Amino acid sequence: MPPTMPISSNLIKMKKILLTGLIAGCILFVLSYGGLYLAVRFFPSLFTEYNNPLFNSDGSRDVLFYMHAFIISFALSWFWDRFKGLFKGAFIIRGLEFGFVYSIIALLPVMWISFSSLDITVVMVLSWFFYGLAQAIIAGVVFAKVNP
Amino acid sequence: MLYLSISGFVLPGHLNNETGSKRWVVSQNSSLSVNGSTNVNKFSCVIPSYDQMDTLTLKESKMDKGVILSGNIGLAISSFDCHNSAMTKQLQKTLEEKQFPVLHIRFLSLNKLPELASKPESITGLVEIELAGVSKRFEVNYQISQDNQNVVHLLGLRDINFSDFNLTPPRKLGGMIKTKDQLSVNFRLNMKTMD
Repeated sequence: MPPTMPISSNLIKMKKILLTGLIAGCILFVLSYGGLYLAVRFFPSLFTEYNNPLFNSDGSRDVLFYMHAFIISFALSWFWDRFKGLFKGAFIIRGLEFGFVYSIIALLPVMWISFSSLDITVVMVLSWFFYGLAQAIIAGVVFAKVNP
Repeated sequence: MLYLSISGFVLPGHLNNETGSKRWVVSQNSSLSVNGSTNVNKFSCVIPSYDQMDTLTLKESKMDKGVILSGNIGLAISSFDCHNSAMTKQLQKTLEEKQFPVLHIRFLSLNKLPELASKPESITGLVEIELAGVSKRFEVNYQISQDNQNVVHLLGLRDINFSDFNLTPPRKLGGMIKTKDQLSVNFRLNMKTMD
């Protein structure tokens, strides 16, 4: 029988993951949607391709869209807690490495299959990749600071 | 006397004296365009050539000073071209093309009898537009003229809203990209007079 952690220790760990995820979610919410708003306002030509039936247009999924910052934060918070021992150095370096690892493992294959199967442009896919990379780096820096 | 009272006194000279009406056949080089905008771009979608042979009938109303303009043109929503395939598909989806494939414009009246000169004349008229299964009446501003080959050019302009037809303008990325409700509809009919 492998040794198991006491229930109270598991609860504390879970609470830490959730709290860290929530903090990162709030920061990502402001930065991601604030950044997106500013990008639409100042670089409108980058967004003309979104006038496409491929993207939901009736507003029925807006809540899901705005929940994304929290979904990615909670998922990454768990991932960080599980593998944080692998990331060494100052918190900025740990956050950066974490962001790059996530981008290579998860984002790159998803962007690859999206571009190969959907009628979307290279610019659109690259913007999604860098948007996700930026989100993961910010989340990583927050995790390295709050849950080192 | 009877002939005179029907055709000579009641009807103006440039209407058909036999029937009291004038018939115009819409020719194929007629077109319709819809202009709109989003908060990131403007779009212009056109039906570049009208492929039906519809007839409009112009008749002076006996009830008032107006003129009855009757006729109907049906435009296939699938014929819209927004010069961008994604935009074209988006417009067709927004206008519910699968369920309501044809946009109808029914001509109802003109405010006065047009002079039909080479110089465009501004008149107004009522039309009924049927889009996505909803019919709505609008007053349209026209410019009407007739060239030296007796082709009548009728240019109609009218701003409409998606919401007039219970349609929702598309919004993307959680509402960060919004299409404005207002559309400017512009149609150009070239018509030949039927004797």
